Amino acid sequence: MSRPQVLNGFHHYGQQQQQQPPFDGLLHLQHAAHAHAHTHAPGPMYRPLPVPSLPMRAPEHPAAGYNHQHTGHHGRTSTVPMSDPAYLAADDELAQLQKLSNEYEPETTVSAERRAQRAACSVPTRAPRAKPRLRGLLLPALRAFHPPSATDTPQGPLVGERQSSSAIATEYANADPVYRVKTAALPSKYAYFRTCRGDGHCGWRAIAFTYYEAMLRAGDVLKFEEEEARLTSMHNLLNLAGFSEDIYEDFVEEAFGLLQKLAGSVRAMDGAAADILLQTFNDFGTAMAIITYFKLLASAWIQSNPNEYQPFLLDYPDLKTYCQHNIEASNCEIDHVAMAALAEAMVKPAGFGLEVLYLDRSPGAEINNTYRVDGVGPDGYPSANAPTMRLLYRPGHYDILYKAEDFPPPVASQGPIHVALAGYTDGFVPNSLSSSGITDVMAFIPGLSYPAGLGQRWPPVSYDYTPNPAPQTQVAPVPAYTPAPTPAVPVASNHQEYVAPVHASHVNHHPPTNHHTLHLEPPVTLPIHPPPAPPPLSIERAPPVSVERGGPFRPSMYEFEPGYGAGQVHSLPFQTSIFRNSHYNTAHFLNPDFQPEEWSPDSEYSTNRGRHKSTSQ
Amino acid sequence: MALSANARSNGGGSATVAQRYGLPISLPTSNPNNITSLQKELMDIMTKPTPGVTAFPDDENMMRWTATIEGPDDTPYAGLTFKLSMAFASNYPYTAPGVLFKTPIYHPNVDFSGRICLDILKDKWSAIYNINSVLLSLQSLLGEPNVSSPLNGQAAELWDKDPAEYKRLVLARHKAPEELDA
Repeated sequence: MSRPQVLNGFHHYGQQQQQQPPFDGLLHLQHAAHAHAHTHAPGPMYRPLPVPSLPMRAPEHPAAGYNHQHTGHHGRTSTVPMSDPAYLAADDELAQLQKLSNEYEPETTVSAERRAQRAACSVPTRAPRAKPRLRGLLLPALRAFHPPSATDTPQGPLVGERQSSSAIATEYANADPVYRVKTAALPSKYAYFRTCRGDGHCGWRAIAFTYYEAMLRAGDVLKFEEEEARLTSMHNLLNLAGFSEDIYEDFVEEAFGLLQKLAGSVRAMDGAAADILLQTFNDFGTAMAIITYFKLLASAWIQSNPNEYQPFLLDYPDLKTYCQHNIEASNCEIDHVAMAALAEAMVKPAGFGLEVLYLDRSPGAEINNTYRVDGVGPDGYPSANAPTMRLLYRPGHYDILYKAEDFPPPVASQGPIHVALAGYTDGFVPNSLSSSGITDVMAFIPGLSYPAGLGQRWPPVSYDYTPNPAPQTQVAPVPAYTPAPTPAVPVASNHQEYVAPVHASHVNHHPPTNHHTLHLEPPVTLPIHPPPAPPPLSIERAPPVSVERGGPFRPSMYEFEPGYGAGQVHSLPFQTSIFRNSHYNTAHFLNPDFQPEEWSPDSEYSTNRGRHKSTSQ
Repeated sequence: MALSANARSNGGGSATVAQRYGLPISLPTSNPNNITSLQKELMDIMTKPTPGVTAFPDDENMMRWTATIEGPDDTPYAGLTFKLSMAFASNYPYTAPGVLFKTPIYHPNVDFSGRICLDILKDKWSAIYNINSVLLSLQSLLGEPNVSSPLNGQAAELWDKDPAEYKRLVLARHKAPEELDA
């Protein structure tokens, strides 16, 4: 029968969760030193913990002592099936479980020293408990029970693929009821997770990876440059902390190199950024360089903010020593102080949020959200849109957690105008093309009218007001839309074709009566509006226009044309004296699309006669 | 002499710096990360030599180096030169190099096989250390032994009690690099 490894320290640590999250310690700096003085908190890492200083098992939860679960560096769990599945056992059952727990002996993988400590822990006397706010301080020492050692051979990728968090529930299916309940509730709230190899670097790796991933989720190319600039400016801190540039330049190079690679991928929108990130973090050397860079930043941040961190680190002669031993050391796990420092140095200024969620034996139905930094938007206020980095902490090990909404389904990369036009024409294109073969889609759109000219450009066969022979100038959108293989194409291209009948029908059917502009030749226009080449369309196309007009609506001159307000509508060269002086003329200074007339020698000499006539009245 | 390792590796002291480190850099390597890092260190050491310490790869794969440190002045080790071997794992600089004294040395924190008890060579190793900083740390360890956790108990005791006897034992145990090679 396989039996679990037991780490009492972790277990106790977890139990204390119920009252106050360990990171609260960071929020109560002024008390920390005081509280610290009362307990003989253990010394630096790897020093055996003096037994009396151990926080004792909470007597009110004796059942918790049984059936330890260890989810240490290996990232695997070993469990003993719980004999009593009931979550809340009766008192006598609890007493029996306590007895079992006291007698429980793990396999001999635990050293005699640890066993002695565990035996001491099992004494069912009420022992002084560490104050909750000290937990942040205790953890590094507790971890000393299980230092990253060469005997562990962690498996799996350095950073795994994102997978459904129901895998965690499966992992704990036979575990202790507390874990079972918590992990069963996990997928509904946190849909995905990602493993980090438990080789002692997992916490560093997790926060570094999620930092880059949050950059990707922010999805802004400029953000990468901003961050690079901000991090470059933080090198002053590194210098102040005594790191010379030739020490950190290699690590900076890798860290920035990844930023630049990701930025390039985001800019190119080739969709490879996520793969680049995962591959980079699965390359040991590059990932370690980035992790080391994060370590140096954490170290420099702590040393440059001594007032905030010193009260938690009284076991150490000075912050420098602490940083050297617990942060800069290559083979050290991240502790809470370092995590908090990175939250301040890396996460907050980047505008990201950070959540550290605990999965441990503390009572409750869900994992505990024990540490949280809210993401801030560009305005500096908390923003719901800011990417939030989520880490799943199981004592001794970090993984990465996601909510389902962290990864919205990809949206089509179409410009808004594009989409609007496509929607507008959906109903018309097939109709016109199939019914008559006429591609003059715009003519089929019922009741389209140009608000500025009050429909003056509609074929006079249908609407007999203000025939304006001004050449169609709606050419601006055409180049933008033509390449797109969407229904927008017929719309744009038919703008030109549509106008052609105007000239044709107008010239042919409506002899000039009271419209001065009729004296103009069709190509006459303002130089800023080059006339489109009139397609060889004739009047024959006009009658079917009115007859075969599809759609449920009767045409109305008051309807807006697609693209109304987009700017091009108003760029009509108004030629009459009335319109020339109205603000519908783009040459009028009140026109929202005001565009002064420009003098062009070519058009001046070719059209000056007509112009003079039109303006003379 | 201090440069014995270099001279031996290069077959002559007249080679230019470029020639000296040109060979290792140009060879194909099995582990780019590790080798790149070591090549860079070699470049730094060659271009900016630190007084009192030397280091050079034993061969072109750069996984093993030979280094020397000179005993600091005002210590029992003044004027003595010590040869060390350094072995680098494939994930250097993220694991500590294995460092041994090849020259017999009488020191509280070095045992008679040359193994060294120094925290930065064990669990306190950091990727920000390099060959140069290791050698300088060892050099300062010569003058400031940690007598509270000795490998050589007798040396630890004598360090405080009888400096003269300590110095005598240091000199008695020491061998010059030339004797060592022979």
